[in-house]
Amino acid sequence: MFWIKRLLSIILAVAGCYAVDRIATGSLDSYGQRLIILAGLYVTLAVSLNLINGITGQFSIGHAAFYQVGAYLTGYLSVTFYAKSSLQGIPWLVAMVLAGGVFAAIAGLVVGLPSLRLRGDYLAIVTLGFGEIIRILVQNNAKLGGSYGLNVAPKFQSIWLVLLLAVVCIAVCRNLLKTAHGLPFLSVREDEVASLAMGVNVTKVKVSAFIIGSAFAGAAGALLAHYEGFITPQTFRMDVSFIILTMVVLGGTGSITGSALAAVFLSYLPEYLRGLKAAGGGPLTVSGAGVIAALLATAFAVALIKRIMDAGLGSPTRRGLTYLGILVGGIVAQFVLSMGLSAIKPLAAAQIEAGQLRMVIFAVTLIVLMLLRPQGVFAHHEFSWDFVKRLFGAKNVKTTEIAA
Amino acid sequence: MHLAHQLVAGLDFPTLPQQLVNGLLLGAIYALIALGYTMVYGVLRLINFAHGEVYMLGAYVALFASYFLGFNPQAATTPVSTAFNLLVMLAASMTVCAIVGVLIERFAYRPMRRNSRIASLITAIGVSLLLQYGGALFLPNSPPPSISEKVNPYSQSKFTVTLVPPSPAAVEKAAKARPEFEKLQKEFDAYLARTGESRFDLSPAGKELRQRTQDAEKTYGDAQRAVESGGIRLIIQAGQLIIFVTTLILMGLLTFLVLKTKQGRAMRAVSHDFDSAALMGVNVNSIITFTFILGSALAGAGSMMNATFLGTPLTTFYGLQPGIKAFVAAVLGGIGNIPGAVVGGLLMGVAETLVVWAGYSPYRDAIAFVILIVVLLFKPGGLLGSDKVEKV
Repeated sequence: MFWIKRLLSIILAVAGCYAVDRIATGSLDSYGQRLIILAGLYVTLAVSLNLINGITGQFSIGHAAFYQVGAYLTGYLSVTFYAKSSLQGIPWLVAMVLAGGVFAAIAGLVVGLPSLRLRGDYLAIVTLGFGEIIRILVQNNAKLGGSYGLNVAPKFQSIWLVLLLAVVCIAVCRNLLKTAHGLPFLSVREDEVASLAMGVNVTKVKVSAFIIGSAFAGAAGALLAHYEGFITPQTFRMDVSFIILTMVVLGGTGSITGSALAAVFLSYLPEYLRGLKAAGGGPLTVSGAGVIAALLATAFAVALIKRIMDAGLGSPTRRGLTYLGILVGGIVAQFVLSMGLSAIKPLAAAQIEAGQLRMVIFAVTLIVLMLLRPQGVFAHHEFSWDFVKRLFGAKNVKTTEIAA
Repeated sequence: MHLAHQLVAGLDFPTLPQQLVNGLLLGAIYALIALGYTMVYGVLRLINFAHGEVYMLGAYVALFASYFLGFNPQAATTPVSTAFNLLVMLAASMTVCAIVGVLIERFAYRPMRRNSRIASLITAIGVSLLLQYGGALFLPNSPPPSISEKVNPYSQSKFTVTLVPPSPAAVEKAAKARPEFEKLQKEFDAYLARTGESRFDLSPAGKELRQRTQDAEKTYGDAQRAVESGGIRLIIQAGQLIIFVTTLILMGLLTFLVLKTKQGRAMRAVSHDFDSAALMGVNVNSIITFTFILGSALAGAGSMMNATFLGTPLTTFYGLQPGIKAFVAAVLGGIGNIPGAVVGGLLMGVAETLVVWAGYSPYRDAIAFVILIVVLLFKPGGLLGSDKVEKV
C-alpha cells in the first residue's frame, strides 16, 4: 500500500507538472511562461536555502554562489560537448540538471566544511565571502566568458522540468522532516551541544544539509542557464542571495510551505510593480515625496504596533482591531505626509518608476518582518491536509505535529 | 625550485616599498571603518551590515558640503581657506554619519535587542539594502565631475623619498654620457647652421653626424633610465599623507576616549559583560548610542577623506566593497578588539596591494575573503582575539 501510494504520487507529480507545462505553453505568452519558470526556480532556491538556514540552522547568505556554480559549469559543458553528445534534447537537459546538482554539491561540501568550526554570523560572512570568491573567479575566467557572460548554446524551455525540480526539492525536504532522518537536522538547529551529547553526528548533519541544499540550487542554476541562453556574473550578484534569504525569512525560517509561497510571491511582486501602468499608458511613477511619506508612515505604524505587541494588553480581538486601525491610520498618514512633503520642490519633482522600488520593498519587508514577526509569516507551520479538514469543520482530526 | 624561481622572476621588486606604503595608506582607511564594526560588535554582538552604507552616506555628505562651499581647487587659493574647507567637509561628514548611525541603532537595532542574533543580523542586512537602494532613488550616481577631481586641492603635489640611491656606477655612466651627447648635438646644430641643409635632407657627411648624435642620445637615455629604475624611491601623494596623519590623530583620540574617559570605561564594561555592566549602574542604552556615534563618525571621516583625496565614482553602492573588506579586517584582527581592527585593516590593505603588485589585480577583491576563510579556519577568534568557545 505504502509503495503504491508513493509510486502514484510520483506519477501524479510528473503528470501534473507536464499538464501545467502544456497548459502554460498553450495559453500564455512567452512573458507569462517566463514568470512561471522564474517563480519555479526561486521556489527551488528558497526551499533549498530553507533546508540549510531554517531547518538545520546554519545561517548561510551566499546561496547564489551554488546557483552560479550549477549554471556556469553546465553551461560550459553544453557549449563544449552538446554537439558531440549522443544525448539530444530534453535527456541532455536532464543530464545537465543532474550535473549541475553534483557540481554544486561539491561546492556545498567545500563551504560546509568551515561550518563545522564556525557558527552564527561568522559562518554567514564566510558563505558571503565564498559567493564573492566564486563570482570573481568566474569573472576572470576567459573560458567562462569573463565579465561579458557566457552564451549557452542549446537553449531549452521546459516548464515541466522547472516545476518538477521544485516539487522534488519540496518533497525531499518534506520527507526529511517527516522521517527520522530529519530529526537530527532539527536537533542541530535547536541545540548543537545537546544534540552532540545525544549522539547526533553533527558534522554529518551540517555537511549533508549544505550538500543537499546546494545541489538543488545548482540544478536550478543549470535550468536557468539553459533557459536564458546567456548568463553573466551579474546574474548572480550578492543581491540574489539576499532576495532568496528574504524569501526564506518572509515565509518563516523552517517552513517549507512558507518558503515556497514567499518565493512565488516575491518573484511575482517586482513583475507586478513593473507592469503597473499610469493612466496615460506609460509606466506608473511615484513621486519622491510619496516614497518618503510611505517609508515614514510605515516606520510610525510599525513602531506603534511593536509597542502594543510588546505590552500584550487586551484581548487578541481587540488588539487585532487596534492593528487594523493603525494600518488604516498609516495609509491616511501616508497621503497627508506626501502632500506635506510635496511642498519640497526636489522631492516632488523626483519621479520614480514603480519597478525601481523592488529592492526597497524587499529591504523594508525584511526590517518590518524582523521587528514584528521574526519567525516569519508561517513561522514553523506547514501546510497539511489535516489543517484543511479542520478548516472545513471536520472534528477529531488526528493531528500529527512534528517537532518543528 | 624552478617554480619558485618563476614566481619570483615575474615580480618587480624595486616597486615593492612603494606598494607597501600604498597598502598601508589603503589599510588606514579600512582600519577606520573596521573600528566601527568592531566596537559595535563588542557592545552588541551584532554585525552592523549597514556600516558600509553609513560610510557611503559620508562620502555624499562630503560631496554636498564641498558644493555648498563652492569649493574647487582653483577657488580656494590660500592654504588656510583650503584647510578650512576640508575641515568643514570632514566635520559635516562625521556629524551626519554619527546622526545616521544613532538613528539606525535607535529605530532598527534597539527594538531587536531581545530577539535572536540572527534576527538582528537580518535586520542589519535589511537596513543596508534599504540605504543602498532607497538612496539610489534620490542620490545622484557619479556626479558629473568625480568628487576627487573637483575638490582635491592636492591632486598635483606629491613627495618623493629616495630610499636606496641608484648605484654609483650607473650615475657615473649617465654623467659621462651626457657631455658627449651634448657636444655632438651642438656640433650637429652648428653643422646645420653652417651648411644650411635641411634636417631631413642631408648630405652623406651630415647623415653620418646625425647617426652619431642619435647613438649618443640613445646611450645617454639608456643610462638615464638605468639611474631612474635603479634606485628605490617612494612617491607619496599629499592627499595620502593627509589621510594617514588624520587617521593617526583620530585613532589617538579614540584610544584616549576608550581608555581614559568614564564613557570609554563604561563601553569596555558593556563589551565585557552586557548584563553585569547594566547591573552595576552603567546606562547601557546611552553607551550603545555613544558607540554608534564613535564608529559612524570614524566611518564618515574615512569616507570623506577617501572620496576627496583618492576618489572613485560615487554611487550608493560605494560603501559595499570597503564595508565588506573592513568587516573582514575586523574579523581578521579579532572582532570586538580595537587594536585588532587596526592591525587587521592595515594587513588587509597591504595584502590587497601585494596581490595587485604580484600581477593578479582582477583578484584583489577576492583576497579579503580568502584571508578571512583561512584565518577563521585556523584561529576562529581572529589574530588578536580570544578563542572563546560558545557556551550553550
